[in-house]
Amino acid sequence: MNTLLQGTALHRAYGPTPALRGVDIEVTEGEIVAVTGPSGCGKSTLLHCLAGIMRVDSGSVRYRDQDIGLWSESARSKLRRTEFGVLFQFGQLVPELTAGENVALPLLLGGVKRREAQKTAEEWLDRFGVAELAGKLPGAMSGGQQQRCAVARAMVTEPRALFADEPTGALDVLTGEQVLGEIVRVAREKGMAVVLVTHEAQIAAYADREISLRDGALDPTGLGLRTRA
Amino acid sequence: MRPATLFRLAVAGNRTDHLRTALTAASSALALVVLLAAATVIAIKNGESGENAHYASPLLAEPGLRPGVIAALVLLAVPILALAGQSIRLGAPARDRRLAAIRLAGATPGQAVLIAGAETVAAGVIGSVVGLGGFLLLRVVLERRNAGGELLLPTDVLPSVLWIVILMAFVPVMAGLVGALLLRQVVISPLGVVRRTRKRGPWPWPGFLIVVGLVIFQLPAQIKGIDVGTNRWAVLVGGGVALTTIGVVLGTGWIAHTTGRLLLRFGPRPAMLLAGRRLMADPWSGSRTLAALLASVVIGAIALGYRIGLVTQFEAWNRYNAQTREEQLGAGAPEGFYTGAVDLIMVAVGIGVTVAAAGVLISLAEGIVARRRTYAALTAAGVPGRTLSESVLWQTMLPLAPALLLAVTSGIGLIRLTGTRVGAPSNTLTVPVPVGSLALLAGGAFLIMLIATGIGLVVLRSSTDLEELRAS
Ligand SMILES: Nc1ncnc2c1ncn2[C@@H]1O[C@H](COP(=O)(O)OP(=O)(O)O)[C@@H](O)[C@H]1O
Ligand SMILES: [Mg+2]
Repeated sequence: MNTLLQGTALHRAYGPTPALRGVDIEVTEGEIVAVTGPSGCGKSTLLHCLAGIMRVDSGSVRYRDQDIGLWSESARSKLRRTEFGVLFQFGQLVPELTAGENVALPLLLGGVKRREAQKTAEEWLDRFGVAELAGKLPGAMSGGQQQRCAVARAMVTEPRALFADEPTGALDVLTGEQVLGEIVRVAREKGMAVVLVTHEAQIAAYADREISLRDGALDPTGLGLRTRA
Repeated sequence: MRPATLFRLAVAGNRTDHLRTALTAASSALALVVLLAAATVIAIKNGESGENAHYASPLLAEPGLRPGVIAALVLLAVPILALAGQSIRLGAPARDRRLAAIRLAGATPGQAVLIAGAETVAAGVIGSVVGLGGFLLLRVVLERRNAGGELLLPTDVLPSVLWIVILMAFVPVMAGLVGALLLRQVVISPLGVVRRTRKRGPWPWPGFLIVVGLVIFQLPAQIKGIDVGTNRWAVLVGGGVALTTIGVVLGTGWIAHTTGRLLLRFGPRPAMLLAGRRLMADPWSGSRTLAALLASVVIGAIALGYRIGLVTQFEAWNRYNAQTREEQLGAGAPEGFYTGAVDLIMVAVGIGVTVAAAGVLISLAEGIVARRRTYAALTAAGVPGRTLSESVLWQTMLPLAPALLLAVTSGIGLIRLTGTRVGAPSNTLTVPVPVGSLALLAGGAFLIMLIATGIGLVVLRSSTDLEELRAS
């Protein structure tokens, strides 16, 4: 399998606080990688650096053999919009847009016509079992429904990689597992790579491979022990 | 809640809270100074000949012109007071968290609003005290006489103590009321502060209000026995202006809703979709934030219409006098004497528009900050900052253009319906529409709002901070 993303000797600090202290990570195409570790160990920082949302202090992030750290903000912005999908715990849907419009937004930004974008958006909502919500505003949905819409929006451009930072953290256990199961199912179907940040071991079990972080560095005791593939 | 507890909770806060307090206090102080100036002009007593020859300016010396000065000053105080109240929305996140925590600790929604309102009132009281000091200081500093020994400003009279006390109480109370009114749109729940967006579509009757206002304004000219300067005259004219202004302000809700619908329907760009949906989600936010601005523009248009009427009237008399070679007929005073009073109102309008734009900036910044998490998530998802800026620009500036047009048209319509023929015997002229100065008024207001929005966009840039994405 080809390497999709490669982070080498990643360092990143917030002022005097180091968050990443030399992390190496490789993600191959279509692979689902879980990043685990205790709260504050640097998981979100790693995800933000890999997705090009944040620059590293030193080290390099290569996407299909190109160092995206050298790219301009607008080039990385475009990369995130087209090749990547991002998913967070909350606050991602625009409250004034309907579910359908929220999901269609990345397509519209890519220049797709309104009607066509709306149609594709509805297909994706259907894929996650929330087709009937297309005309509803986020405020009128449950947390699980909102998160399903957010997942649909992150995947609607059929990105090569999905970055998810505790995507089910705000949901109850049962709904969380359902949503995660759907993410994994669709990702496998479409051959998307997934970087899944979580601090729950159960959720990490959905992944092909698990990487553990501790204090901003790889935790060798966790590394590879749970490899399934 | 005991007053001491209320005070303790109201003054708790961090640096942005102090900034808000400072801004509330400063604008309250300014409002008080302006209102005390108005009260000072009211306190001028007429001399024996009916006028006060010891003032250099006819605006102060002439009893007939003083009401114009008073009106201009009171008018000026309105947007400043509105600004004091609007400051309540500044630095909202930290305050919201505090209010939510207070609710979580068992306070009722009413108590939470009371705490936020009390904070504004407290700042207003500080402002009142500072304002009184500033006013007394200004009286001393500005005591000047011209070569002829006449006073430039009425620094020889003081408003009565009762007036001073009333105004000092009025300013903080008004600021608190405006603030509490603005807080009605947010729900302070124990889990955080949620903004309430009204589902209700725009009312159909702003147009009706404008028409009624126009009609009432005409009555004194149509009905015999209602003389200029009488109470009935003042009620009809003032009521006409007020109804028209309210109609324009409420009409903006309808305009915002309609522009939103059109943007949604025909706007091909994603930024237009965002802007259109937001306009439709809360069409009243435009009315609320633009109220002071639009009111200033309506008044400005009325003043401009009145001014050109005066100028044309003088023109007619000048022609008549030239024909008859007589000088004794017509208005006795020089033209500049009357237009000067109108120009003073225009200065007040200019300041009013600027102050109102500052208020708009505050609510714009607050609206952006309240959505910072969404903006940060959108940026992370690759939505270009340009698209977000563009949506804010569409959302503020697009409804503004027709709203300004409505304000200017209503204001000038009010004056022109009373008649457009003026003149002297055997020589009547048609009052032209002051297109140039009206365009300047509307264009100026638009430009100032554009600048305010530009500053708001800087806030937007810093709101897309990734900090907001961290799961707490
Ligand atoms: N914006 C920030 N400013 C300062 N410190 C930060 C910031 N973001 C994260 N940190 C610190 O960096 C470390 C790693 O944070 P993060 O990547 O969010 O961890 P995780 O996602 O594993 O909980 C933590 O010690 C955290 O306190
Ligand atoms: Mg995290």
